[in-house]
Amino acid sequence: MIKLENVTKEYKGSSIALKEASAEISKGEFVFLVGPSGSGKSTFLRLLNKQEVADSGRVLVNGKDVGDLHPWKVPLLRRQIGCVFQDFKLLPSRTVRENVSFALEVIGKPKHIIETQVPAICELVGLGEKIDKYPHQLSGGEQQRVSIARAFVNRPVILLADEPTGNLDPQTANGIMWLLDRINRSANTTVVMATHDRGIVDTMRRRVIELSHGSIVRDQSRGVYD
Amino acid sequence: MAVRVDYIVKETAYNIIRNPSLSIATVLTVAVSLSLLGAALLIQQGVNGLQTRFKDDVEFIIWIKQDATDEQIQSVERALDESPVVESSVFINRTQTFSEFEEYFAESPEVLAAVTPEDLPTSFRVVPVNPDLSVVEQLGRQFQELAGVRQVDFAGDYIRRLNQFSSAASITMTVAALASGLASSLLMYNTIRTALFARRREVEVMRLVGATNWFIRIPFMLEGLLQGLVGAAFSAASVWGLNRVVGDAVRNADFRLFDSFALDGAQLGAIALILLGAGALIGAVGSGVAVSRYLEA
Repeated sequence: MIKLENVTKEYKGSSIALKEASAEISKGEFVFLVGPSGSGKSTFLRLLNKQEVADSGRVLVNGKDVGDLHPWKVPLLRRQIGCVFQDFKLLPSRTVRENVSFALEVIGKPKHIIETQVPAICELVGLGEKIDKYPHQLSGGEQQRVSIARAFVNRPVILLADEPTGNLDPQTANGIMWLLDRINRSANTTVVMATHDRGIVDTMRRRVIELSHGSIVRDQSRGVYD
Repeated sequence: MAVRVDYIVKETAYNIIRNPSLSIATVLTVAVSLSLLGAALLIQQGVNGLQTRFKDDVEFIIWIKQDATDEQIQSVERALDESPVVESSVFINRTQTFSEFEEYFAESPEVLAAVTPEDLPTSFRVVPVNPDLSVVEQLGRQFQELAGVRQVDFAGDYIRRLNQFSSAASITMTVAALASGLASSLLMYNTIRTALFARRREVEVMRLVGATNWFIRIPFMLEGLLQGLVGAAFSAASVWGLNRVVGDAVRNADFRLFDSFALDGAQLGAIALILLGAGALIGAVGSGVAVSRYLEA
């Protein structure tokens, strides 16, 4: 499903982000990326949907070399990869329904599909009642649920989450993790999640890839934070 | 996967309504800049009209002496007919001169009462082939020498000075029109960039969920196009208003020379079309270029 082969990525004027990193993630896996800030976790995720391009090495998604992908095919790649962020990236002037619909509208999905799938996914993430509220009327946990609904509404095969619980209190964070776990198990969606949250990693006991200064220093199934 | 028309219409309308201050700023920027352009076009048209009138009027008048014999008159006529540099000439007899005189002094009956057709001179109105002023003057002087000719009148220096003025004005206006056109494009580009900066998150989300670059661009371009058109419509209205004010002033001043500055409907329509076209183009292209900053190659 996902394969990194000796990937190196360096940002101009700063230290190396990824150094000769190799990893393979199968379909339906749930993987934590851990490590201190600046260790290369975000770069790892951003390479997968071609927000960044590797300086050397290969990044394969679904057997295709992402680096070689023609620019007009990049949107097609991204339709298979959902993204969730620490800061949610919701559009403040749109309701829950509109935020989730937006993800389908901009890829040209027909109206009848949007009208059935959006309420269903909002129900799934537990926001059926708040579907017509605006983001500022929701708690942080609820906003993150909206962002997960938006990322998942198009049924991507991969879900990337960059510190999705970073802004949430532990109890709310657990609710989000329960949701991501459910998406992973029920839809067999591959989930790759970068996190600092020791408690979550230690509780979930899933595969852990640890990064340090851009290098993969540990890759452990059913691992713990350290 | 086709671009959905209802989505585009909805997004374009939402964008305009959601961010009214920036929409208004964009529309006003276009309106002000295009008004400048429109005013420059207006004046340029006026100057062109002025030049056309002068070119038509570059003729001279050969006044015949009161006591000139028919023979002398015929010899002047023959000289005019034979001259290769004379385009056409018309003999104005006493009755025709008198009717012009009547027209000119229509409001002064006391002057008219004192004059009979016999008191007035006859003349030739001459249109030379080459309207160049120095040629006209030289030609006029030749006829001055003929017997029976009292005087040759031509606009001469007066026209030359006005001609110089009008070509200088024309050049100035063209430069002003180009400069204001450039200024409107830059202002428009900046306003759209500001508008897009406010919506960079939206563009970011669109990219992340896999919208194609053109799909992202189209609502922005349509919005720019609409704003450009509305702004251009305002500028066309202000140009129309300006033309009315100028037209009234020209008519009230009873100063026929500047009549050409009051444009007719067709000329105004042409200017309005230019403004609308410029507004639409600046709006759509400006938005398209500005949004490209937020898209990847």
